[in-house]
Amino acid sequence: MKTIRVKKGYNLKIVGSPSHLLQKAEQPTYVALLPEHIPFVKPRLKIAKGDRVALGSPLIEDKRNTDIQFLSPGGGRVADIRFGPRRVIQEIVIQLDETEKKIDFERYSQNDIDKMNREQLVRVLVAGGLWPLIKELPFRDYARLDFLPPALFVRLGSLEPFHPAPKVYLPGNEQLFRFGLSVLNKLAEGRVFVCRHEADTESTSLLDGLINLTYTGNYPAHDPGVLLYRMKSSPQENCSWFVDGQDVVLIAHMLRNGAYPTERIVTLGGAGARQPKHFIARMGAPLSAIAADQAENESWRYIQGGILSGYSARPQSYLGFSETALNLLPEGNRKGELLGLFSPGYRKTTFSRAFLSKLNHQELEMSCNMNGSERACIACGYCTLVCPVDILPQFTYKAILAGEVEESLEHGLLDCVECALCSYVCPSKIELFETIKNAKAAFYKEKEQVRR
Amino acid sequence: MKRIERFFEFTRRHFEKGGKLEKLWPFYESIESVFFAPARVSQVAPNVRDSLDVKRYMMLVIVALLPHYAFGVYNVGYQSHLASGLGTDFWPVIWTGLKSVVPIVVVVYIFGFAWETLFASVRKHELSEGVLVTCALLPLTLPPTIPLWQAAAGISFGIVIGKEIFGGTGRNFLNPALTGRAFLYFAYPVQNSGDAVWTVLTGAKSAPVDAFTGATPLSIAAVTERFGDVHASLADAGYGVSKLFFGLYPGSIGGTTTFLSIVGAAFLMMLGIANYRIIFGCVIGLLSTAFLLNLLATESSMPYLSMNPMHHLMSGGAMFAFAYMATDPVSAAHMQVSRWIFGFGIGALTILIRVFNPAFPEGVGLAVLFMNLFAPLLDHIEIKIKLRRRVPNV
Repeated sequence: MKTIRVKKGYNLKIVGSPSHLLQKAEQPTYVALLPEHIPFVKPRLKIAKGDRVALGSPLIEDKRNTDIQFLSPGGGRVADIRFGPRRVIQEIVIQLDETEKKIDFERYSQNDIDKMNREQLVRVLVAGGLWPLIKELPFRDYARLDFLPPALFVRLGSLEPFHPAPKVYLPGNEQLFRFGLSVLNKLAEGRVFVCRHEADTESTSLLDGLINLTYTGNYPAHDPGVLLYRMKSSPQENCSWFVDGQDVVLIAHMLRNGAYPTERIVTLGGAGARQPKHFIARMGAPLSAIAADQAENESWRYIQGGILSGYSARPQSYLGFSETALNLLPEGNRKGELLGLFSPGYRKTTFSRAFLSKLNHQELEMSCNMNGSERACIACGYCTLVCPVDILPQFTYKAILAGEVEESLEHGLLDCVECALCSYVCPSKIELFETIKNAKAAFYKEKEQVRR
Repeated sequence: MKRIERFFEFTRRHFEKGGKLEKLWPFYESIESVFFAPARVSQVAPNVRDSLDVKRYMMLVIVALLPHYAFGVYNVGYQSHLASGLGTDFWPVIWTGLKSVVPIVVVVYIFGFAWETLFASVRKHELSEGVLVTCALLPLTLPPTIPLWQAAAGISFGIVIGKEIFGGTGRNFLNPALTGRAFLYFAYPVQNSGDAVWTVLTGAKSAPVDAFTGATPLSIAAVTERFGDVHASLADAGYGVSKLFFGLYPGSIGGTTTFLSIVGAAFLMMLGIANYRIIFGCVIGLLSTAFLLNLLATESSMPYLSMNPMHHLMSGGAMFAFAYMATDPVSAAHMQVSRWIFGFGIGALTILIRVFNPAFPEGVGLAVLFMNLFAPLLDHIEIKIKLRRRVPNV
């Protein structure tokens, strides 16, 4: 088995790590699809407010490729379609019926899969609405339908605080996982890497013999982009695909049972959760369904996804299409304590060595405060030290701002794995990550336009 | 605490938009944020941010410089009393030292802040903390006898020409404090070039003038006659190893002490504020070049060639500049290997300027400025080499 040792990166020591307890979240009366946060997709509505929909009937299609549809996470009536600025579709809310109608898809056995050819399989996955769970590097859009990937990574677990642990979502689903993996093997024609962290011994025992790539190191060593960066030897490998471990189970569930999956295991983490733990939640469930039990006396920020790369959501919002984590962090919108600047900082988390917290191995509380104001780059070099794919963020950033697209590409702009650590460590509080991510997305959009 | 909070709440409105002093907002903000960190929260990913900010980064440098000020005040007073034939009791010495150091520091800070505030309010951004460090560094490199107007001219040149005309902190390619120092060095060599002794005379009329003649160790070394021994002539002038190491001799206010510079360098390297590659590069460059010159030295050559490398390291402001000037992250090289070369170049040039250029007794300041000019080139080369190793992704 191959082992990849990632030396850079950084692990946040932060409180609120979810326990391995698994609880069923309360049954919601509304579920929703959030097209706004599915990257690159240009949604076109297939339904209108008041329409009746079944579980698995299409709600939107992607204008770029109308074969790709996003299906309804529940059966009932379209209660509301929320639009944001410039009529971006934020939420399609569905009021669930007592007994939900559902679309029946065809069921497939292992034998059927083996007999099918690759094109048929792609078509089945696209029709089942779960194709967009398969992502393509380097832009992390959903995978191209007519493309044979050089490799496909299956990511078990995440080092980012906080995501579901394979230890929680795998037990009981080993058979489905195995089945899903055979599907992926067909898609990538055998070049599939199932990756686990070295410390994650449970996955190895549960998935006997399926794991073929081990990594060690800090966040974001789990990211397929990092693993690919360390493995690749030619530019052809850049367009590898990846799937999250839990999504393999979902894909298998859809094919095996002929029904659009309704449940997913999500985590509630962060200082705001009184009991951080795992939940079995409805896909597209309201955030309040899992965030009901929260600590008091604080305004909490609801973060969908990981604490670093996630986005802040309204508390009234719903779980996103491929989100598996909700983290509650203190907003931190108050002034610091008197002369806090000079405190030794035994409880202040930092990547640098400028605080005593370097000697403190406890998990610490963090808020969403900027901890400083924006300054010009002072070339401290922390972003370079932390970048897992050896980009020189400060120079890349300057190249982007100067409009030097070629130069920024040469710097490895597209290798960026969107871990957001560069922005995290920056003492000048420069939005390096936002700049790099936007430049990458802009480049992709331009490239797509040329292709068409 | 409540009282301070109320004070800021009370004064804030004058500086905010529409207030009478709205133009001075950057100045006000910089003071308030020293006392209370602002309440700003992250708007985009990542949601959490590191606790370290530029303010803390720069403050730690100032903390490292405080012992130099304590030493400087004492040394200035001590040398003054020695030269004036007064007693060397502790408190009178401190008092004399304070009388000559404090005005210089105050003048430098007033002018530094004035320029920084002017540029910040015209450019409409917040005051950058770099000016705090620049203003703390410059007085330590100045002679205590400097006229105050020259200190003001020096900091003005350093801040405006060394930094602001290029866009402010982060966009300068020269160390602003050293730029100011170099300006004084060349513009007013009589008071600042370092070959005459810098001692404040207390009650000059009654002072025995004899005790006041002499030269700095570096100028002694430079003028040692042929066939003489540098170490002997240094020792004759009273510059033993321990005196050189601890810096208790006439010189710039706080730059003479190699001991405190090493302590400060260790402190900053431990906290990751100063880059160890630069400092060690400097020391290695200085020692190896001095050693090389030792090898070249023959009996008929300049005696300065045979000066012990450790003597070179300990005399003058070499270690001070290595610890605080060369490590300025903005004007230093930014890449790891470049930092070694950058440091080595400073060390080597320091020796070359000292030994072969009798017009300049101290070379380290010029060496740092010279390598500052080369830093972007070093970075450029290293980046090009690094990028060539990447598997392209386009």
